[in-house]
Amino acid sequence: MKRILIAGIGNILLGDDGVGPYVLRLLESSYTFDEGVELSDLGTPALDFIDHIAGLDALIVIDSVDNGKSGGAITLYGKQDLLRNAPTIRMDTHSPAITGSLVAADVFFGVSPREVLLIGISASFYDAGCKLSGPVESAAKEAVRLVLAELDRLGVGYRRKPQAEPNIWWMSAPQEQSA
Amino acid sequence: MAKRITIDPITRIEGHLRVDVEVDNNAVSNAWASCTMWRGIEKILRGRDPRDAWLYTQRFCGVCTTVHAMASVRAVEDALKLEVPLNAQYIRNLILIAHGLHDHIVHFYQLSALDWVDVLQIPKADPAAASKLAESLSPWTRNSRNELKAAQDKVNAVAASGQLGIFANGYWGHPAMKLSPEVNLIAFAHYLQALEYQRKALQVVGMLGSKTPHIQTLTVGGVTNAIDLDSQGALGIDRLETIRELLAEVAQFVQQVYFVDVCAVAAMYPDWFKIGSGVKNYLAVPDLPLDSKGSAYDLPGGFIMNGNIGGTRPFKTASDQEFRDGVTEDVTHSYYQGAKPLHPWQGETEPEFTGWNGEQKYSWVKAPRFKGQPMQVGPLSQVLVGYAQGHPLTVKYADLALNRVSAIAGVRATPDMLHSTLGRHAARAIRAAMLADLAQKHWQLLVNNIAKGDFSVHNPPVFGREVEGVGTHEAPRGTLSHWVVVKDAKIKNYQAVVPSTWNASPRDNNGAHGPYEASLLRTPIADAEKPLEVLRTIHSFDPCMACACHTFDPEGKRIAQVKVL
Repeated sequence: MKRILIAGIGNILLGDDGVGPYVLRLLESSYTFDEGVELSDLGTPALDFIDHIAGLDALIVIDSVDNGKSGGAITLYGKQDLLRNAPTIRMDTHSPAITGSLVAADVFFGVSPREVLLIGISASFYDAGCKLSGPVESAAKEAVRLVLAELDRLGVGYRRKPQAEPNIWWMSAPQEQSA
Repeated sequence: MAKRITIDPITRIEGHLRVDVEVDNNAVSNAWASCTMWRGIEKILRGRDPRDAWLYTQRFCGVCTTVHAMASVRAVEDALKLEVPLNAQYIRNLILIAHGLHDHIVHFYQLSALDWVDVLQIPKADPAAASKLAESLSPWTRNSRNELKAAQDKVNAVAASGQLGIFANGYWGHPAMKLSPEVNLIAFAHYLQALEYQRKALQVVGMLGSKTPHIQTLTVGGVTNAIDLDSQGALGIDRLETIRELLAEVAQFVQQVYFVDVCAVAAMYPDWFKIGSGVKNYLAVPDLPLDSKGSAYDLPGGFIMNGNIGGTRPFKTASDQEFRDGVTEDVTHSYYQGAKPLHPWQGETEPEFTGWNGEQKYSWVKAPRFKGQPMQVGPLSQVLVGYAQGHPLTVKYADLALNRVSAIAGVRATPDMLHSTLGRHAARAIRAAMLADLAQKHWQLLVNNIAKGDFSVHNPPVFGREVEGVGTHEAPRGTLSHWVVVKDAKIKNYQAVVPSTWNASPRDNNGAHGPYEASLLRTPIADAEKPLEVLRTIHSFDPCMACACHTFDPEGKRIAQVKVL
């Protein structure tokens, strides 16, 4: 059995930064996965990211990135891209944590996942708020497809389940305050 | 000639904090701490159900999820005058203790140790001598020559592969590095071991909180953990026993390794007990409640003004009237609209960005004040406030730390020396050692209470028309308070006054520096191009700016810019 983590990363309170957790909920509500596959909304981890990735066979991360491309653009980063470019890939707040943890796990601890894929979705805005911009919301659906394609490549099974409403609780509207 | 140094980002974990210092005659003559992006997250909460607030607030920060969840439910409970069943208090306490232990271990080994430990010295170490030294300091069973040799081999292999440069941000080889090769090796070996124990602590949070990060088992009025001694799915005997074992292992690492390492490293940098004091006003709230009402606590709180330890004033409760009345936030030097300091219940967060100007506005962090004064928060405040009150557990570990430093350094270490950069590290280790004891105590309290036949975990909330509350938690980085105004069962206003806001505060309307700023004044700087000394003091506060504000990483690699004035 392969140990695989699919991790959604980002802050659900800061606009497009929340796309990682959003993609994770889409996956959770539509598919079941082989044993050994774990889905986790990791929020915005810091160096404790290493606690979640140590010893995995494969890691798939869905995250917003700030790499100069227009909103909704998807860029794939492999393990070597992340290790090589660790200090220079421009991503948001948690990127030093991801790359820093991965480098430490790889170099000092020898526990980094054998395979790593980061599905980076370029963000349009990071303002306080729980909504995604249109292009990023569209990209989320493409990201789901890319996760499944990566599972195919890894030889890991998944099955479509009866359509359920994804639990994206943070996008519910607040109520009007009475006077 | 005076120089201006801008350090941005200063934390290795997240790049939100910027520090500017002026250096004159090889010492810091002026300092500004600022944060580079707006926080406006609290606005999202307006109009929402107060019972859901904690789900949002635990997303403020990726490092401190648990603490923001806890402060939020406590704020609503305070507003509703809602008691919390004993089991729920103990379960919450265990989650907070495990989180705190995890956080302190990560802070020292992953973030701060590299300010003092020079990995480049490790290849020169004699593993046999290092083992002998380590075994003379601690009964820890993983200090053998073989264990230390393996750590040394790892460094040699990484150096040979050319990958060591990735970690070079630590200013290795800096003239301010003083540890012997053997002590560097011991600390590095423990850095490698720390990973196992930090994960065990996290596992406890996950078992009691159902998930980590983002615990799921809180609710306003208690917790949702089902207690059933015979069940494997609920909180039963099997799960409780696993939790006990994990906590015992973490406690042993903290008391036999982390605590010992901090004392040993501190003893070898005695000068740093004279540097970095700054604001000597200290604030801590009581925590780890021992009853449903929250009238007795295992960790004491109170405040100290102007370093007057003898004049320490205790807080009776975690939302003591003096604390409720005393907190304001000023925005004179922050990028917000507003003319006068406001109490958090009246707090506003309307941005007014003007660009960095050290004479005027220069930070997105507000300036929280207590009785109009800047306050230092964090383990040092926790320890000083407890020590001054003769709190037995604080006194036990504080004296143990001071005696250890005295024995190794060959000087008499006194509590006064704790007003310093190293004092903050020592205090964090003292606090962690205390939490390690309390982990076992609160586990026993929970088990004893369940054994009495009490399975209650929740009291349902009842909302009135308009109420206000404050929920506090004495978090790993210090006093955290969430302030909520609830009207017609909806949130009318919400403000979080977080530890890093107290410490990273800019100047206020009286021109008084915040704790980071004040702590840097007069710090000697050996090489302005490599201001390691500034990093040492700032890191001693354990900065975490994500909850104070949020931004994307500008450039991972650049650490400091130096400009001749």
